[in-house]
Amino acid sequence: MKGTGLELPRATIGVSRWRRFRAAVDWPLILTVLAICGIGLLNLYSATRGTKHHAKFDKQLGYMVVGMVGFAIATIIDYRALVRVAWVGLGIAIFLLLVVRVLGVGVKGSNRWIDIGIVPIQPSELAKLMVILALARMFQDAEPSHYTPRQLLIRLAVLGLPIGLIAIQPDLGTAMLLALMVLTVGYLAMPSVRPMAYLTVAANFAIPVLWETMHDYQKNRILAFIDPSADPTGNGWHTRQSIFAVGSGKIWGKGFGGGTQNQFDFLPEHWTDFPYSVWAEEWGFAGSLVLLLIFGFLLVWILNVALSARDRVGAVICVGVAAMTFWHVVVNVMMVLGLAPVVGVTLPFISYGGSSLVTFFLAMGLVANVSLRKHGY
Amino acid sequence: MLIRDSSGGGPALPELHKRLRWLALFGIGMFLLLIGRLWQLQVMRGDSYYQRTVSNVVKERYLPSVRGKILDHKGQPLADNRPAFNIYATPKTLTDETRAELARMLGLSDDELVKLAERLEVGKKRDAKNPVLILEDQGRDRAALVEQARAHLPGIEVRHEPYRYYPQGELAAHLIGYMTQMTSDEVVEKQGYDTSELVGRYGLEAAWENYLRGKKGEERFAVDARGVRLDDKTAASLISGERVIEAVPGANLVLTIDADLQRLAEKAISHVPAAAVVIVEAKTGRLLAVVSKPSFDPNVMTGHLTRAEETLLLSDPRKPFIDKAVRATYPPGSVFKFVTALAALEDGQAAEDESLTCTGEYELAGTTFKCNATHGKLDLLGAIQHSCNIYFWKLAERIGLDRIAQVATEYGFGLPTHLGLNGDAAGRIPTKKSYEEHGRYKIGYATNAATGQGDVEVTVLQMAMAYAALGNGGSLFVPQVVDRVEASDGHTIIAYQPKLARQIRTPLDALDTWRRGMWKVTNEPGGTAYDHAKFDLVPIMGKTGTAEIKTHHNKAEDERDLDGWHPTRSHSWFAGWTPAEDPEIAIVVFVEHGGSGGRIAWPIAKQILEGYYTKIHPLPAPPAGPAGDGAGSAAPPKAGAPR
Repeated sequence: MKGTGLELPRATIGVSRWRRFRAAVDWPLILTVLAICGIGLLNLYSATRGTKHHAKFDKQLGYMVVGMVGFAIATIIDYRALVRVAWVGLGIAIFLLLVVRVLGVGVKGSNRWIDIGIVPIQPSELAKLMVILALARMFQDAEPSHYTPRQLLIRLAVLGLPIGLIAIQPDLGTAMLLALMVLTVGYLAMPSVRPMAYLTVAANFAIPVLWETMHDYQKNRILAFIDPSADPTGNGWHTRQSIFAVGSGKIWGKGFGGGTQNQFDFLPEHWTDFPYSVWAEEWGFAGSLVLLLIFGFLLVWILNVALSARDRVGAVICVGVAAMTFWHVVVNVMMVLGLAPVVGVTLPFISYGGSSLVTFFLAMGLVANVSLRKHGY
Repeated sequence: MLIRDSSGGGPALPELHKRLRWLALFGIGMFLLLIGRLWQLQVMRGDSYYQRTVSNVVKERYLPSVRGKILDHKGQPLADNRPAFNIYATPKTLTDETRAELARMLGLSDDELVKLAERLEVGKKRDAKNPVLILEDQGRDRAALVEQARAHLPGIEVRHEPYRYYPQGELAAHLIGYMTQMTSDEVVEKQGYDTSELVGRYGLEAAWENYLRGKKGEERFAVDARGVRLDDKTAASLISGERVIEAVPGANLVLTIDADLQRLAEKAISHVPAAAVVIVEAKTGRLLAVVSKPSFDPNVMTGHLTRAEETLLLSDPRKPFIDKAVRATYPPGSVFKFVTALAALEDGQAAEDESLTCTGEYELAGTTFKCNATHGKLDLLGAIQHSCNIYFWKLAERIGLDRIAQVATEYGFGLPTHLGLNGDAAGRIPTKKSYEEHGRYKIGYATNAATGQGDVEVTVLQMAMAYAALGNGGSLFVPQVVDRVEASDGHTIIAYQPKLARQIRTPLDALDTWRRGMWKVTNEPGGTAYDHAKFDLVPIMGKTGTAEIKTHHNKAEDERDLDGWHPTRSHSWFAGWTPAEDPEIAIVVFVEHGGSGGRIAWPIAKQILEGYYTKIHPLPAPPAGPAGDGAGSAAPPKAGAPR
């Protein structure tokens, strides 16, 4: 056990190892994640059964098994050991992002994937985890005067590198999400919030610069978001049809398999970016609210782990995962509800797709890791 | 060691503890924003979005109803339906390339391309996902071409549907009318019509649209986002209520018209450029034939009219689209003289045996009017027989214009006949007051009116109804063209009875006097008709008219190279009935700019009547009857004799 860093509370001496382990494992976290996965599967089944996409359900099940294995691994390896090599990990992520620039597989005009033989992987997803670990490393022992502004800027610049690489893939959604994660963790873990405030202001100034460098399809999506009715069959289509789908669910929804918007393809590719729309159509305001509350509970629970973590590193990891989850949920749901442009941000554990699913399982594994070790030394 | 535990008793991350309240505020704020939006979309606006998603999926399609037939009295179809290939396009899915491909493949004419573009535009405005009719009634080869290439022509489909057709071609075209496609404005105004539908535009097709049309059915079905139809089981789960409402076929119209007689009448006027004929049952007012020439082919008008043809028809100075029997008004000339004679007789201002002298000229208020001949001394019957104008001018001077107008109105002139078709015109009967309103009344107006000239204008139909009344002893009927309305299964829905407009107040002895004069016209030497042709199958009574027209020269019309069209000539009239004593039918023949009534209109009437009594309504084998041995044995009528 020493090798894994898994040390059990003294009070449990005499109880079998398995029972001690079971008692220390964060069951509420696991159950919450499984509940969300269950909802995701139900939703995917409803939306794809009887269509040519029905194989997606089985595939998603497979990804889940992989994800759970990842969760176990991320739980067992001591997070302190992981954080020790955080900069190396971030370096690998940056390297893979560079590889993607060169060899990547294009999807709809942007390079986001690397085919490593078995499955294509998305280095930007890996980068999210590595950024969380690097943030933990950065804030591990931040005494009030630990970093000079210069040192801080250097570190933030290193964190900015993957964001920039992802932005030029171009995957604006993920880049923005990473930026939000970094800012959020900074606000919650920095001794002083002032540098973060400066950074926030600076990020806002970057927006017009960013606009100039954007591809036309990206600009069009944002313009379509501002006025979806201007081009109802083109870029505004998704947003409009998604709003119709959500609204048409009314209070109690159309019931399982009853969503005409998703069943008859009015909402193309709803399984990746718009599963919440499917859910809202079929289960109405009641179901939509329940799912949001479950996510809310998950976030509160992760923060609870952060508050009771045994060290700063663990706490920051939890804050990072919470920030990642929070922004994924908020941005995705805003997208579905027509409050944000369609930027390709997934809904944790519900969106179809291996990369996102496995990433979130790994992230939750890290939280379980911190939770498991909070009573140890 | 790199990692230092900071668990010295305090929280691991004191900053998080410090800022927890702000974090909670921010997180809860964001979630409330999402929940608020959900509330807005699902609870506040849910119903309208629900409707939107239903209309995304559930589409409606009209099921065409089969239009009712129009049949003649004996059941001959005048308007029917036949199967045809119609090409439809869905504006939303039709690309410019497909359109070009279709045009190339079928070799569409410019006319057809314009039509196609217009209809797509209309369809797009209404519902771009709903197919619109772009090319109707296409030939088998075109349909086959499109059918074969369907895979390359997304958005195009061929439907096999009933199409209106007129088996008799131009026969009774004005009466039957024709149909054309709805305009975009009409589609908006009229409920229950589809953009692709034809609607009655003229004649009975227009006037009886509501009966002929039937009721369209409706089919509701479900589609996915690409507009592909979903299977019935899925559709049933999405659509509440009836999915198919069957169409109700339109009702058939059975006319009073006799198609054979109509054909005969049309044949009889084949040698004149413009004419109208009305034949009516004298004792019922049921119309047997109503002819207007020049005509048009309703088959062409119904969806096949090219721009060139349309221009030609519209520029024809004879105005083919005006129903010359019902809508157009003309000066009646001498056929109108009965009004003057009856008015004077009723007032005691004229007598059958009063002789007056015609010197060929007549001076009135400083102007000299000319008679058609110098008739010398003649009585009233002679004046009718020879159509002497001067005799009637003298009568007009005695009774005045208003008395003429009064009797004319009694016989239905100046009022619409209420045929309810093609805008039947009232015509014009001037009165003293009508002149005074626009200037000064002169006695010359009365003398003009007395001989059916000046400002008197009547329709051919009015004249036929008036002569029927003269013949039947004074019953003026409302003309009737529809005998009954039948449902598609043949049972009668409505049967129409003859309708009396009014019983004329003219005393019977006055009527008798007029009729004795008419007898001379067609049966005695010197009669304006008798001198030109003799009809001796049955006793006949008639009156000719040669109505001078107001000389207005239209250079373009005069120069038009139309055979036999002389727009400066008088109109030629004949009005009468057979048999003389117990009238069965009344007939009016009008030849526009035909010239002399006796020479032109009367022989046409004679030809029609001969056809009628040999083919349509053959006379019983002559039992040594008087009809066989010619005019000599026919005695003057004694219609009012029993009294």
